[in-house]
Amino acid sequence: MSPTADTYRFDHDHLLEIDGLHRLDIEFLLSLADDYAEATRRAERPRESLKNKTVVNLFFENSTRTMSSFEIAAKRLGADVINMPVAHSSVKKGETLIDTAMTLNAMKPDVLVIRHSASGGVKLLSRKVDCAVINAGDGQHEHPTQGLLDVLTIRRAKGRIEGLKVLICGDILHSRVARSTTLALHLLGAEVHLCGPRTLLPSRAEDWGAAATHTDFDKALAGCDVVMMLRLQLERMDGAYLPSRREYFRYYGLTADRLALAKDDAIVMHPGPMNRGIEIESAIADGERSVITEQVEMGVAVREAVLHTLAGAPS
Amino acid sequence: MTQTVILNARILDPATSTDQTGGLIASDGVIVECGSHVQSAPDGADTVDANGLCLAPGLVDLRVKTGEPGEEHRETLASASRAAVAGGVTSMVVMPDTNPVIDDVAVVEFITRRASETALNRIYPAGALTNGLEGEAMAEIGLMQEAGAVFFTNGDEALADASAMRRAMTYAASRNAIVASRPAERSLSGGMMNSGALAARMGLSGLPADAEWIALARDLMLAETTGCALMIDLVSTGRSLEMVSQARQRGARIGVTAAAYSFFFNELDVGDYLTYCKVQPPFRCEDDRQALVAGLKSGEIDAVVSAHDPQPPEAKRVPYAEAAFGAAGLETSLAAMLALFHDGPLSLLEALKPLTSGPADLIGLPQGRLAAGAPADLILFDPGAPWLCQREELRSRSTNSPFDGRRLQGIVTQTWVGGKCVFTR
Repeated sequence: MSPTADTYRFDHDHLLEIDGLHRLDIEFLLSLADDYAEATRRAERPRESLKNKTVVNLFFENSTRTMSSFEIAAKRLGADVINMPVAHSSVKKGETLIDTAMTLNAMKPDVLVIRHSASGGVKLLSRKVDCAVINAGDGQHEHPTQGLLDVLTIRRAKGRIEGLKVLICGDILHSRVARSTTLALHLLGAEVHLCGPRTLLPSRAEDWGAAATHTDFDKALAGCDVVMMLRLQLERMDGAYLPSRREYFRYYGLTADRLALAKDDAIVMHPGPMNRGIEIESAIADGERSVITEQVEMGVAVREAVLHTLAGAPS
Repeated sequence: MTQTVILNARILDPATSTDQTGGLIASDGVIVECGSHVQSAPDGADTVDANGLCLAPGLVDLRVKTGEPGEEHRETLASASRAAVAGGVTSMVVMPDTNPVIDDVAVVEFITRRASETALNRIYPAGALTNGLEGEAMAEIGLMQEAGAVFFTNGDEALADASAMRRAMTYAASRNAIVASRPAERSLSGGMMNSGALAARMGLSGLPADAEWIALARDLMLAETTGCALMIDLVSTGRSLEMVSQARQRGARIGVTAAAYSFFFNELDVGDYLTYCKVQPPFRCEDDRQALVAGLKSGEIDAVVSAHDPQPPEAKRVPYAEAAFGAAGLETSLAAMLALFHDGPLSLLEALKPLTSGPADLIGLPQGRLAAGAPADLILFDPGAPWLCQREELRSRSTNSPFDGRRLQGIVTQTWVGGKCVFTR
């Protein structure tokens, strides 16, 4: 039985990282997100839990998908949303990160959704403001709502998390998604395996809950219930961490032949945006085992749940 | 079914420390039987009476340069292979610093195809570690390995950027590829002969031994932290062996090669500005030469290579300071090692091991031994036969040998590759 709003108190002012959350915290958020997902599918509107609240999307790093997802989530809850893509504005004029935060804080928003390119940048800001802060991705550290939406997508597809074998393949070393998703899955009892060339694997990933790391994708795929491919950043290819795109696809690209090595009912995930033909074959990305668009849908539901929990009117 | 039988030979198999009189039967290119019990040939077999000469596995040479593709006037795969089989070298690895560089699958396949069409022995390409050997972007290590590249190296220059080297070794480790590194710190590698009193007196700038130690220290550490199998390409000093020994004790996977000339010559042999003696690493001092011989005896050095580097006359018939580095060596490796047998420090088997099973084991080849099932790559040689090395008689297209004019002992009389006789003296 998952904890619900009636029975559970989410005892955090911000959502900065999965690390430090309790299993019940996650189950609570997932349960709420599940409700929101169903409500959206039934086209139930309007919802008013964030009516008269102000949500500011403060993105120091360019993002269309995540910012839109937060914007839609907040608007569905009746909030007023201000988007501040600061990647090209005041910061470029020399204002320090903390000055920007202080300025915004003086405007009294209720929630700040922040993405920053420096690991720890969002946590720093959260200490300087009075409102709730949601980390929408900080450097190579965490992306907690992505972790939650991945877990929710898997739970809805498989009916459970406990005991599942999940393989995350790609640039684990630089991925905030891999960190958040691994931590969340581990908390809920999944067996998480990480795979990639050794140049893109972290040392001691077991410290954040991974069961094992692998360099041989084919072997790692055996018995998997879930295969999650990560986006390869273009700047890491072409000789720096990897020889080339074609060599990467040869050893770590998800093809139909490779997917056949996983369980027959394995699902395929990708946090997007995809590099088709580099980490994933188009036929797989668009195939019937792909839950990639479901992930996007659950993204909005999870963000509704988080916004509601941190800033919603007391019920 | 073609059968080759060699009878009445002194069988020397360093892989199993075998030294006995007997015979060998090869069938369809593979050794079927070998030992003292082989006393007669089956009917219809092609039979050779060795008359007591030594029968050993063909030599496996991990460092050969040709000029193909790009500088065929120096050497082609075919001309190098003719010199090789005369020197007993039945397998050889060609270095990637050709033009174009061996840095992608197409060039690996070109070498393999040209070798099978034109060469008398087995030729394996080494792949470039970085694109164009420029020391920056990692080359396609995995795909080249699948196409047949046996290890990956940045050629004659160590990869200067430690971060690039670390990533390349980390990546190579995840593909189980071997990285070879020539230990020479670039900023200390501008000299022309071993740094020391002699260089100073001759007025030649020095190549200090610490250039080797500095580069070696970095690469040994990276081998330890990345878990990559690292081949130290040409050590030239005793202290380098101490450093390798320490790294091995700490669990690093290290292979070590040294050039045959490093066991034969010392810096004094540069003598009267002999450009054929201008090589990298340079002939070191006598203490180092002796330390290297001790390293062979102790097994610290896995492989002795020819470091064959053909240079045309226009690159060598110039003042020492202006001459190119490099020595032709395919036809003299065996005699250089046999000199250590004749002078006393090594047994025959100890002299042969770093030329046969030692290098084969480093890169995982089945040859280099007289085992049933191994390729019938064989040499018959007379270990005591004296000969005068004269460059006019060498078969390489470039004959820049530091052994020119030297009296040597031990010569190959017959060579087989895959059971087929490819050379008879």
